[in-house]
Amino acid sequence: MNMWRTLIANLIIFCGIAASSPAVQTAPPAFELPLLITSAGQSADVSIASMLAKKAELTATLSKLATGKDLENQKTLVLVLGASMKGLGSAGLDTDKEYERIRALLAEAKKKNIPVLCLHLGGEQRRGELTDKMIEEFLPSAKMALIVKSGNKDGLFTKICKEKNIPLVEIEKTLDTVEPLKSLFKK
Amino acid sequence: MKQAAAIFFSTIALLTALSCRPQKVRMPEPPQDRHVPFNYVATKGMVVAAHPLAAEAGLDMLKGGGNAVDAAIATAFALNAAEPFASGLGGSGFMVIYLAKAKKVTVVNFREKAPAAARPTMFTEKGEKQAEWRQERGTAVGVPGMLAGWNYALKKYGTKSLAEASARAVEIAEKGFPVSATFSQINKDEYEKLLKNAGEDTCYLNSGIPYEPGEVFKNPDLAATLRLIGAKGIDEFYKGEIAKKIVAAVRAKDGIMTLEDLAAYRPVEVEPIKGTYKGHTIYTLPPPGTGGFHIIQLLNVAENWPLKDWGHNTPATIHHLSETMRFIFADKDHYDGDPDYVSIPVAELISKDYAKEIRSKISAEKTAGTYPYGRFDKVQDEKENTTHIGVIDKDGNIVALTQSINDFFGTGIVPEGTGFLLNDHMADFSTDPNSPNAPRPNRRPVSNMGPLIMFKDGKPFLVLGSPGGTRIFSSLSQIIFNIIDFGMSLDEAIEAPRFFSYTTEGKARPISIEPRIPEAVLKALEKLGHKITPKEPYDKYFGGAQGIMILPDKKLIYGGADSRRDGVGAGY
Repeated sequence: MNMWRTLIANLIIFCGIAASSPAVQTAPPAFELPLLITSAGQSADVSIASMLAKKAELTATLSKLATGKDLENQKTLVLVLGASMKGLGSAGLDTDKEYERIRALLAEAKKKNIPVLCLHLGGEQRRGELTDKMIEEFLPSAKMALIVKSGNKDGLFTKICKEKNIPLVEIEKTLDTVEPLKSLFKK
Repeated sequence: MKQAAAIFFSTIALLTALSCRPQKVRMPEPPQDRHVPFNYVATKGMVVAAHPLAAEAGLDMLKGGGNAVDAAIATAFALNAAEPFASGLGGSGFMVIYLAKAKKVTVVNFREKAPAAARPTMFTEKGEKQAEWRQERGTAVGVPGMLAGWNYALKKYGTKSLAEASARAVEIAEKGFPVSATFSQINKDEYEKLLKNAGEDTCYLNSGIPYEPGEVFKNPDLAATLRLIGAKGIDEFYKGEIAKKIVAAVRAKDGIMTLEDLAAYRPVEVEPIKGTYKGHTIYTLPPPGTGGFHIIQLLNVAENWPLKDWGHNTPATIHHLSETMRFIFADKDHYDGDPDYVSIPVAELISKDYAKEIRSKISAEKTAGTYPYGRFDKVQDEKENTTHIGVIDKDGNIVALTQSINDFFGTGIVPEGTGFLLNDHMADFSTDPNSPNAPRPNRRPVSNMGPLIMFKDGKPFLVLGSPGGTRIFSSLSQIIFNIIDFGMSLDEAIEAPRFFSYTTEGKARPISIEPRIPEAVLKALEKLGHKITPKEPYDKYFGGAQGIMILPDKKLIYGGADSRRDGVGAGY
């Protein structure tokens, strides 16, 4: 049963990449554990990502306000794209501070050669000016992007991923992310 | 033009149908684009609510011989099943009722009370964690008045039993329904709270994560709870097994509610307050509901301004109304409290003389810059929660009912096996222990709600209400201006772009505005000294109003429901 699930998940990833960025590589990149999950924009989607990692049985640390120090002993950085004014307010951040934090974190990840997996789980409703600016700035740092399809109706993710040779996988529903996540990580 | 055509053709279609087949009226279908203004049309009765299944539940009650109160309570129960994030058994509300035969308006207040152990410093002593204790811990839960209020209204003014009124809600909770984009988005926004307080296995999450649009939401525990209440009555909730579960859930999250608090809860029936605007009379809530009297204040101030000449959403109109909202906020902070314990000079505040005083402080040329301000709260909420129901029956009885569990999904706390969410209305008490609205034993927190019924020539003309926190009074007033001053149809008035402003510590906050208002208008406002904060084009921040308009000359009833949420009308 597990073998079938893995095969199906691999097929989803393969087809997703093939469909969305045919000019790019055809084999999905592999990521290693443990992984650090953080938010770009402080929406609750980061906690959903943490739950999905739990369901995928991945060893993950959730740190909504992660800094470079949190990358110690981590092998992958998962960046969950999605801005929320409510989330930023609760975290006591304004957008400028959030940008500064993410920029510094990505710089540190690059320095440590830690690959970045970008997730966008909120679909069409988690788009908008604030989130789009973050997508445009931070998605190019990703080694791969895994997104809920309805969030890419205008092709923003496809455009950036094609330009930057980033494999892009589109998932119909958030819960469908579990199997692809399992397959992407070497255990 | 498109909107006017839609209204014209819908009216013609209805009149044609009436003339040909008086027994079978075919209602025009609402447009695909929910934002296109559309008036639901009926001749006998109408229900407007924030979910189609709830509006249907109310309509079926009307068709089955129930009166407006029966239908309002059936709709309210159904909203607990279909829109559980906004209201339900664990919350409270206010109901304005018009009894056609007696020509009497009355108000049922079933707002939560603070537990007997509440203290003014109970939140401030938590320091930086205060917000969490006010919104997500057991201390956030006020003693729920919802079921007691519904039961009171049914017994005194309705004709049906609790079991009959809740039957459709049981069906909805059991069978389930595909969730809307609104439900899904709110479910995602409140995910962390639900995960923390309701747990991974709650029905409010789908396999531990939020529902996607179209996924089916069911709540069998709520169905069982409603059946139990239907069979045993409200004592089961206030004194029986459900009461024990409520107290256990609240206290497990560090709350202070006791079984005695629940057993002692009683709704109260009070006189409405009355205001007038350009020949219309408005009946609405007295404190601790404040939306109503702030609406009367705003209408009073605007009454002597030539709004029609200035034009709809022009710089002059927005400037003058925004300034008025800022002055009214001083009163909001200064006087609001539970009238059982605090003296509030309502008659003076809603007088025409007081409005004149405010009007004299507003310049057409620039913003005032500084404003009188209340002594207490410094931060106003940004909440979008709550829900509103409007009903009229074939005999002309009317209900305007606004109800809530406060924040969307309340505290996220679900008493074990009950399926309903507990409110966080203790958050509506002031953050300042010296405020008249500080938490104290058995007091009701101030509410922003303002359901209203407006009369013209002594006959009911408009039934209105909305969620939207501090924006309620502003949004409802704008709808009234849109209808009376700018000649809009009901739903045009509801869908029209809105704005809002207030003050903190005597300083103006920016005007929050739906950016459908042209850029040139915003620039002109900036020249007058306003800062502008654009919101979404149809933003829940400004509420989700539902309205009913009665046109006796045409023997028609219009229903208008806000596309900022999932509002619909259902009539016959």
